[in-house]
Amino acid sequence: MKFRSGFNRKYVLSLLAVLLGLIAGAILMSSTGHNPVEGYRYLFRGGLMNLARVGNTMAIATTLILTGLSVAFAFKTGLFNIGASGQMLMGGLAATAIGLTYSWPRPVLLTAMMLAAMLAGGLWAAIAGFLKARFNVHEVVATIMLNWIAFWTIYYVIPGYFKGPFLETESRRLPAAATLRWPWLSSQFSGSYINIGIFIALAAVIVVAFVLERTTLGYELKAVGYNRHAAEAAGIKVNARMVLSMGIAGALAGLAGGVFYAGYAATMQIGILPSQGFDGIAVALLGASSPWGVWVAGLFFGVLHTGKGFMTAMTRIPPEIADTIIATIIYFAATSVLVERYWDSIDRSLSARRERRSVSKEEGGN
Amino acid sequence: MGNIVEMKKIRKEFPGVVACDDIDFSLREGEIHALLGENGAGKSTLTSILFGLYQADSGTISVRGKMVNISNPNVANTLGIGMVHQHFKLVHNFTVTENIILGMEPRRGLVVDTKSAAVRIRDLSRQYGLNVDPAALISEVSVGMQQRVEILKMLYRNADILIFDEPTAVLTPQEIQELMKIMQTLIAEGKSIILITHKLKEIKAVADRCTVIRRGKNVGTVSVQETSEQKLAEMMVGRQISFVVNKSEREPGETILSIRDLSVPGPTGVPAVKNLSLEIKAGEIVGLAGVDGNGQNELVEALIGLRKVSCGVIEMKGTDVCQMSIRERMEKGISYIPEDRHKYGLILDYSLQENLSLKTYYRAPFSRRGLLSRSHIRQHAERVIEDFDVRAGEGAQSQARSLSGGNQQKAIVGREFDMDPELLVAVQPTRGLDVGAIEYIHERLLEQRQRGKAVLLVSLELDEILDLSDRIAVISHGELVGVVDARDTDESEVGLMMTGIKRGEVS
Amino acid sequence: MKRLLLVMLVVTMVAAMLVGCAPKTPAPVDPGPGPTDPTPPPPPALKVGMVTDAGTIDDKSFNQGTWEGILKAAADFGLETRYLQPGGETTSFYLTEIGNLVDAGFNMIICPGFKFEEAIFEAQTLYPNTKFVILDGYPHSGDWAPAVGDNTVSIFFTEHEAGFLGGAAAAMHLKTGDVGFIGGMEIPAVQLFNWGFQQGVAYANANLGTSVTIKPENVIYQGTFYDVAAGQQLAATMYDRGVKAIFAAAGGVGVGVINEAKARASAGQEVWVVGVDVDQYSEGEYATGKSIILTSAMKGIGVAAYDMIADALADTFPGGEILTFSAENFGVGIPAENPNLDAAISAKVNELFEMMRDGTLVVSNEQGSLIK
Repeated sequence: MKFRSGFNRKYVLSLLAVLLGLIAGAILMSSTGHNPVEGYRYLFRGGLMNLARVGNTMAIATTLILTGLSVAFAFKTGLFNIGASGQMLMGGLAATAIGLTYSWPRPVLLTAMMLAAMLAGGLWAAIAGFLKARFNVHEVVATIMLNWIAFWTIYYVIPGYFKGPFLETESRRLPAAATLRWPWLSSQFSGSYINIGIFIALAAVIVVAFVLERTTLGYELKAVGYNRHAAEAAGIKVNARMVLSMGIAGALAGLAGGVFYAGYAATMQIGILPSQGFDGIAVALLGASSPWGVWVAGLFFGVLHTGKGFMTAMTRIPPEIADTIIATIIYFAATSVLVERYWDSIDRSLSARRERRSVSKEEGGN
Repeated sequence: MGNIVEMKKIRKEFPGVVACDDIDFSLREGEIHALLGENGAGKSTLTSILFGLYQADSGTISVRGKMVNISNPNVANTLGIGMVHQHFKLVHNFTVTENIILGMEPRRGLVVDTKSAAVRIRDLSRQYGLNVDPAALISEVSVGMQQRVEILKMLYRNADILIFDEPTAVLTPQEIQELMKIMQTLIAEGKSIILITHKLKEIKAVADRCTVIRRGKNVGTVSVQETSEQKLAEMMVGRQISFVVNKSEREPGETILSIRDLSVPGPTGVPAVKNLSLEIKAGEIVGLAGVDGNGQNELVEALIGLRKVSCGVIEMKGTDVCQMSIRERMEKGISYIPEDRHKYGLILDYSLQENLSLKTYYRAPFSRRGLLSRSHIRQHAERVIEDFDVRAGEGAQSQARSLSGGNQQKAIVGREFDMDPELLVAVQPTRGLDVGAIEYIHERLLEQRQRGKAVLLVSLELDEILDLSDRIAVISHGELVGVVDARDTDESEVGLMMTGIKRGEVS
Repeated sequence: MKRLLLVMLVVTMVAAMLVGCAPKTPAPVDPGPGPTDPTPPPPPALKVGMVTDAGTIDDKSFNQGTWEGILKAAADFGLETRYLQPGGETTSFYLTEIGNLVDAGFNMIICPGFKFEEAIFEAQTLYPNTKFVILDGYPHSGDWAPAVGDNTVSIFFTEHEAGFLGGAAAAMHLKTGDVGFIGGMEIPAVQLFNWGFQQGVAYANANLGTSVTIKPENVIYQGTFYDVAAGQQLAATMYDRGVKAIFAAAGGVGVGVINEAKARASAGQEVWVVGVDVDQYSEGEYATGKSIILTSAMKGIGVAAYDMIADALADTFPGGEILTFSAENFGVGIPAENPNLDAAISAKVNELFEMMRDGTLVVSNEQGSLIK
């Protein structure tokens, strides 16, 4: 099998990476004395065995898809957004602030909350983009620092302005009208946490795919990502584009915060840097940084995260080992780049052997 | 003299291309055997197979009469095969000795024994007349010296089959002369050499035999002495070619570009261009000659808009463009063929069609209201590919990376010419290209002149400057030494001026 | 797009295969022992699950204390137990894990921490046949109005009493000088420890002839329960300021405090830590037989978990009630053995403990004029 175009090849490689991850996880399970077939059976049953669990899987995946999209978008412009967690916090804060302050009609309120989340996350990340463009501060450093600034900002702002009557450590609960929960949708999935967020994530995937493939903006951003020197020589304003790219990536992560804190959760807690921001990196890698790849990878990770608890409950695999197994699967899945390299060398030697054999056959025939 | 290397029916396919199509090749002991071919003809692939970088799909290799399977460069090393790559593989903040022993460090106990290595390197250097200082830092020695370090690296590993991949592409004329001498010394000491090149002069100067490869096939192996340059070139290109540039007389028109008292800071802030004034008129080619690193790059970058000027004026048809963005200058009609096409000219991960609209994508008809029109981009690309004879495996959809160097350059030339620029700034437009491609690009440059456009040709190859230019501006240490008419000057005068001596200072 | 659909199809198929090859048992609720258990004990009626709070199961404090209580009950009564770690600290994450336990047949679930309040509120109606125990909190719907279901018990502790004993002990041991407090997050349980500690020191100063001070700058809430490095740093600052003993009610942050104290004690400096939640003496050992843990202000978390399991087995589960574990019912206190305290001081602390039990000594659970 030879891959002529890079497109389907990437997906096959990602699938291979997932397969390797599952095998590695299986080895880990066996080596700790657990039955991998049983473990995986419960893992996937836990994520998919009934409508409620499918709904929960999608609810978990919603956030991961959006953070994955954020990281993938920055990747496309050659930037590494490690700050999706902080951008999520800022987005969540903006959405929560509006949700707790105003009692507009629901469609208006929810739209305002999500836009505010995008704006907050976008501006937050644009700071890192600006520092990179103006002072050549590496965005990895800047976004990590901004993560902690966001963390402590939440720490101050939530107890200061949005706390409940008794608890200092979390915000008041958002009124039902200010959350993305939709009773009809929940009831379709037997009362799961699925919410409108999944549609927002779907829309984001479509929009990002469109922007990257069909617009001059996407063309410019990718050009900057692939080769900033050539992009600059071609008249593209590289620095401005980097700031914008970071801003858009941040807006996506901010949106992830919005759907997480007003969809999956209804309160914001202080002292927590949401791990979904970092999981987004793995989602982006597994999804080969393509929007639809991220969609599939996010759902897959959703299954893992949702099924893990059921696996631990049904087997004697302790939660720590389960976490390690999930991390192993994610780690392997995210290394499709390495898989690609090995695939190439295997492919090469295989085809060489095949050729040799056919040649020797011909010669034998003569 | 028997065959030290014998390659039989070597075949290698890459997606969409047959790089080697059942090539037979043999190297006799003690000869310099040139491999001649256009870029992408398959000569590099063939030697890479010999060096173990690629595996042949089929065919056999024997070294010193024994069939071998060279699965990686380490195997090649143990067989005594060494290679000097076109792009040197050296660690810049290491010394010469450290670079040479890298990967096979002699040890005394736990300590790397650099001393004895340095002694051996000095001896080798003396034996082959290389004149290399083992203690020098790579970052501080010239490109020519770096190449000799690469040669020493092979000798240190006891290689006696030496492959040189385009060794002269990076050297100055003097360094080329010295390299030729070194190669002859190596032969005298019993080595055998494969010389990959597309420069006929060099083949004539040193090679014993020459194998010509065209489109993956061995066109023939000939004795160099018995074959003329003309004949070699025809074998390589597959048709008759002319070496003579046909340049008709043409009166220059209005002034297109006017540079006045321009100063440009270099990377460290020290002025790299000082008070330079120059005019280029419609319908003329002005050649900018100079030794590499004398401010040419900074001048060009200032013209294009990649670098800020510290003072002075750059006028395009009477408008000062100093404060304009790169794109605004492009719209004013400045076009740019960069020296480093991989860094500044192309986005290698983009398809050919995306590269061909790299400077126009934002305009109608390639996009409207921010939405790309793929059909227009494709049509445009297909036209340029056709017009400029760009050969790519998958047409407009090919990844730019998959194209050969010559075709990449043609794509850039096509893109820039298609914008119909008033001023074309071409930096080393034929660097690393084969005769066929050079001829083609020269024709296109002259055509531009013929159509009444202005061309600034920056080149390190004096022949090119002398052949194409109407006037020649010589730059040295950032200052304009003088401007001479191409009709009444010659290589030696321009060469002298390049060292900073003004016209008339020598009698 | 076609290819993408194909990829998705394959993923679904692989998943379906794994799901589909489940054994022919009809329900996911499988009360019998799984194939991983080669020597099955007779299946007990009660399966006890726990969902952890922030931090790991071996946090030397809240999670660990609860889990040890469950394990002790399991050993005594032969029960199947399991704990799950939620993916985050939000009601939805907690409910997901509670659902996992319920789906796996666990019919008693113990949740340590106030963060479970809303999750338990929902779970108690969602799973009416499951018994729930919440420590340090009570179920409510987000409006703070207690709504303890018939299948739920809510348990509080009088942390101020434990803190008081720790404070008094520290003051008596040091007699003069400074002591400090490092808390995790500023939540009620931690605040109560702090206020009790300050009252204990004040009581010793007023009635037992000590003169130990607590300066406002030496009362700090770090802000998390996990930042070990920050805990170590805060402790270093306080010890540098001359503080001799620190009461650390701070989870992982407290681990940092203990680490710093151990380092200093090894270097010969006299520094102490008053432990929290469980007897932390062994955590503070820096040389054989030497520990920097002066004493620990203990909360009977494990006892509470154990008692609830025992009640459930005896069919006397006090569903619907809010229980308070205090000195009166031995729910809080200091360890029985305190190798670092003189016998006289230990005796005096026990005396104070008895006074709390009979009501002659009342520790306030309000801040009043206390620091932070």
